[in-house]
Amino acid sequence: MREPTFLILTALADQPRHGYGIIQEVDTLSASRVALLPGTLYTALDRLAAQGLVERDRDEVAEGRLRRYYRLTDNGLKVLDAEAARLRQLATVAEARLRAVRPRTA
Amino acid sequence: MSGSVSRLEKRYRLLLLSYPRAYRRERGKEIVDTLADLAPPGRTRPTVREAFDLIRHGLRARLGRPASRSVVVWAVLTAIVWALFSAAMASRLAWETARPLPSVARASAVFATVAPGRKVSDVQRSPATFVMYGQPLSRQDLGELIFPDGGEYTFGSTTGSMGGASDVDLHRFAEDAVRRLHATGWDVGRPYTQVLDTCGSDDCGGPTESETYLTARRGDDVITIYIEYGGMITPPVSISIERATPWPVYPASVAGGAVGAVIAWFVFGWASRRTDGRHPALRVLTALLLGISLFLWWLPIPFSSWSLLRHQLTEPHYKWHPLWEWLGQPALALFFLVGCVAALTGLAVAALPRRRPDPSMDVATG
Repeated sequence: MREPTFLILTALADQPRHGYGIIQEVDTLSASRVALLPGTLYTALDRLAAQGLVERDRDEVAEGRLRRYYRLTDNGLKVLDAEAARLRQLATVAEARLRAVRPRTA
Repeated sequence: MSGSVSRLEKRYRLLLLSYPRAYRRERGKEIVDTLADLAPPGRTRPTVREAFDLIRHGLRARLGRPASRSVVVWAVLTAIVWALFSAAMASRLAWETARPLPSVARASAVFATVAPGRKVSDVQRSPATFVMYGQPLSRQDLGELIFPDGGEYTFGSTTGSMGGASDVDLHRFAEDAVRRLHATGWDVGRPYTQVLDTCGSDDCGGPTESETYLTARRGDDVITIYIEYGGMITPPVSISIERATPWPVYPASVAGGAVGAVIAWFVFGWASRRTDGRHPALRVLTALLLGISLFLWWLPIPFSSWSLLRHQLTEPHYKWHPLWEWLGQPALALFFLVGCVAALTGLAVAALPRRRPDPSMDVATG
């Protein structure tokens, strides 16, 4: 799974969000390292919806602007959970190696 | 502020034209509103990054099948091959801007400077810039152009033969010709000589015949002098003038290629969206027809290009062979045409009406 996809799924993990909200949340989660553009975001949402990981939640109109909310599906939660476990396991292994090489840095 | 936002939104909507219509109807407002939310106050134009992002993902959306990666590969292969074919067609049209071939009188005057004191006889001028069997392409030739004689479609020229050449020292003639061409303002390429193995066995003491090509260019005239040593051809020297590639061929090829790629992408996308979610048999059939088309369109290209590249690099040239020859056309036009028939059949199958409209497919079938 690529990092932007992981971050989009993570942004939707706690609550449904609209496009603008997802972009803001991804910016926060990645400490402004990943700046999603709307074209990229909606292509990713289309793909994740086709894979059954994300679905539409509801539509709202605020100040004349359409807010369409998306949420994770049960399968999306499972996939995110598995990916988080995979990354955690990799990070653990890497940290163990680093501790062995540079005991003080860990 | 609201005026500037409105102008900005209009410009975003323009960029959304890269998305299919049904997608724009379904998601356009959502995307534009998100873009407007992200824009800092006072911005009136999309950034280059935003524009590139929207166009890129709009073109991807045209292919439908959002979860598929392979659809992009097939679309790219289709767009590239049609860019090449369209560029070749546009270049052929642009060749019509070439000046007519030199008249017999003018060519005879040029030949006289190359071979002074020698009679260049039987000077003939092709009736067109491109000929087949020495004649302009006609409707009667189409059958043979498609199969099997497409390779006969070639440059026309004004050609003559140097008579009474049996008493000529041909090696010295070649050297003199280079000198005379230089002196009369021609840009002369290095002579290219190759030994001809006319024997075909080891018993005859090795090859005894050879031939030399000498080419030069002045303005839009390209002259080729062909000299055969030790052979049976009489007369052994022939001289011809063809037209150099006219400059409009290059921009026309680029423009034609771009238009062809865009059209191919859009048509591919339309068919892909139309067939997504249809009956498995229909999807297999259209995939098979696409595979046949791409195989037949691409097959001649690597072979023809490789062979022509070697020829172009080993022998001196004052113009590139026309683009269609690099694509194996029209020598292998049958492959191209059968590929087109398969593609058109696939498009016809894709155009078949759906039995039951599925509302969930609204986004994908624009």
